[in-house]
Amino acid sequence: MVDLTAIAPAKTVRRPAPWAFIVLAAVVVLALLAPLIDQLGPYRQVLSKALSGPDMIAPLGYDHLGRSMLARMAYAVRLSLALAMASTVTAAFIGIALGMLASWRGGWTDTLLRLVSDSMLALPALLLVLIAGVIVQSTAVSFWIGLAAVQWIEFFRLSRSMMRSLIQSPAVEAARLLGFGPVHIFCHHLWPEMRPLLLTAAAFGVANAIMVIAALGFVSVGMRAPTPEMGLMMVELLPYWREAPWALAQPVLACFAILLALNSIAGAKT
Amino acid sequence: MSVLIEAREVAVDGPQGRLVEPVSLTLRPGVPLTIVGETGSGKSLLMQALMGTLPAGLQARGSARIDGEDFDLSAPGNMRRLWGRTIAVLPQEPWLALDPLMRAREQVAEVHHLVSLETAGGAHADADLETVGLARAAARLPGELSGGMAQRLAFSAARAGGATIQFADEPTKGLDTAMRDGIADLLIGRLGAEGGLLTVTHDLDLARRIGGELMVMLKGRIVEQGPASRLLAAPSHDYTRRLVAAQPSNWARRQGSQGSEAAVISARGLSVVRGGVRLFDGVDLDLRPGAITGILGRSGCGKTSLGNALLGLVPLSGGHVSRDPSILSHRFQKLWQDPPSAFARTQTIGRELNALARLHRVDRQRMDRLLKRLRLSPELLKRPPGQVSGGELQRIALMRALMVDPVFLFADEPTSRLDLITQQEVIDMLGEVVREEKLALLIVSHDGDLLERFCDDVVKLDHRDGTARQSN
Repeated sequence: MVDLTAIAPAKTVRRPAPWAFIVLAAVVVLALLAPLIDQLGPYRQVLSKALSGPDMIAPLGYDHLGRSMLARMAYAVRLSLALAMASTVTAAFIGIALGMLASWRGGWTDTLLRLVSDSMLALPALLLVLIAGVIVQSTAVSFWIGLAAVQWIEFFRLSRSMMRSLIQSPAVEAARLLGFGPVHIFCHHLWPEMRPLLLTAAAFGVANAIMVIAALGFVSVGMRAPTPEMGLMMVELLPYWREAPWALAQPVLACFAILLALNSIAGAKT
Repeated sequence: MSVLIEAREVAVDGPQGRLVEPVSLTLRPGVPLTIVGETGSGKSLLMQALMGTLPAGLQARGSARIDGEDFDLSAPGNMRRLWGRTIAVLPQEPWLALDPLMRAREQVAEVHHLVSLETAGGAHADADLETVGLARAAARLPGELSGGMAQRLAFSAARAGGATIQFADEPTKGLDTAMRDGIADLLIGRLGAEGGLLTVTHDLDLARRIGGELMVMLKGRIVEQGPASRLLAAPSHDYTRRLVAAQPSNWARRQGSQGSEAAVISARGLSVVRGGVRLFDGVDLDLRPGAITGILGRSGCGKTSLGNALLGLVPLSGGHVSRDPSILSHRFQKLWQDPPSAFARTQTIGRELNALARLHRVDRQRMDRLLKRLRLSPELLKRPPGQVSGGELQRIALMRALMVDPVFLFADEPTSRLDLITQQEVIDMLGEVVREEKLALLIVSHDGDLLERFCDDVVKLDHRDGTARQSN
């Protein structure tokens, strides 16, 4: 028998470019290893060296208050990535679980969950994060809660629509007739089919969360000084762009590199 | 002109070797030519080579004289201008070829405008739709047409370019027996004395109805050719003989067994409403061990819903289903129409069957016995479902059902996607299993010949009055 699928050229799946992973890995490694060579920490001030260039103690120079840019950048990147990932993972768990519930049970459960998710979509995402900031005192926890509250909708909608057709497929019907439970069906039928798309959504989600954290920091309603955070650092260093363009460029470039890498990884998989 | 297409030594090469051995054929005006063969025999590739539309990676060889002009098939670049004007193609499953957002009349008018460059395309389109009996459906979208209507619309759109030669690739695929004759009439009706018709199909009834010349293809080779009427009545090649014998109308009637044991599942006054339409009403069924019950009906008449209602997959809107309460629910099983879709796509079949064996504590020996019984190679279990042929996969699905020791099996068009010979193998296998395992089988089909010869009892579902008639 001639199998036509074997002859026809394989569907060209655009693989993520290796540079995207290299850039992302470089930024992460820098953020993790910098504290090993750094002696100042993100808060120690050496006022006499304010806005001066790199030296042996601070290889990336000093900011306007004489703090080591290397230490502050490392701290800021770690904070943004950790927060973004924590909120995306939380959102994915909640979104997929509710998506499964809605598509499995159908009926009024589905209607109710859709109503909730649709009405939350009507609220601006930044506003939700700000509201969480008012309710919860700790800025980091409020970001985590606020971002997860925005992001779960994407995962819910994606997994619900995919699971609806999957659950009606003969393969799942067969599994149910044969006596398999929901856990087996999820692990063997639903998750393998949904994984590629959901991982893409997660990569976009992390990128989006980093952007939200930086944006709120930039307009001074996010992380509070003296916490090192990329958006906050940008707005603090902005008045000194003439004297120390190098210092201002660092948070901008780091943010840009992370977002570019994440978006191209996510974009390539679809 | 006495010859429309004169093809010499047409062959198709793939990356792993030759797919179609050199074939020479002649298409004469007024004499239809039909190529029959099973899935993967290379019949569609041969047609694509003649049109210059082979998928990338495949290379055609040979030459053809089409409409008085010579073409080198290995360099099909200049064959493009033949499309639509000289050669019209009726594609497989035409509802996929129609624009889902364009109304029927525009689909045809567009071809008149863009291919034949006529200004009065709309008027021509109306006339075209009138001839195929679609005048009243002119303003409908393809999604609102039945399979047969979509087929006729695609036919009109294909012919609107004014081509004299018609190619039809599996024109009855996915259609009911009742519509098959309509398609054949449509194809011959437009043939006339001048036109040409080349059809590729696995359907011998269609081939018989079209008549003319017939070529039988097996594994990339033409094994027999001649006038259709003679070839189908007295085939000389072994493969053609098996093919003709595998037609349900030529089967021997199965030895029936009227089971007198208590029914494992009974239905009284069953009715199902889906999407506001009453599919059937007042159906009574008693399914006994060892007995085969058939359900016959056109597509969309609710045959599948009837079986699903018995299995509890579809809610009832009237009547009731009673099962023996001492029998566990997983012993009521089902076979699906499209075997690959009934398995998890991303894992090997073996993994799925092993999970089932663990769940119901089926021992290794029983699985090996079943594999041997269903003549399946254990090697198959190492593959994902996409890499197993449809006939084998349907037998694996049967094995999966047998692993849980079923008392009732609902087979939903289990062979409609299979080739004739494979269909006969699977049906024979089902019959043996029913006899040995003493299970009650409910089989749904649109093929009356098949059901009549295979079943002890046939229920006809009639869509119009929504009632069922029992016959034997």
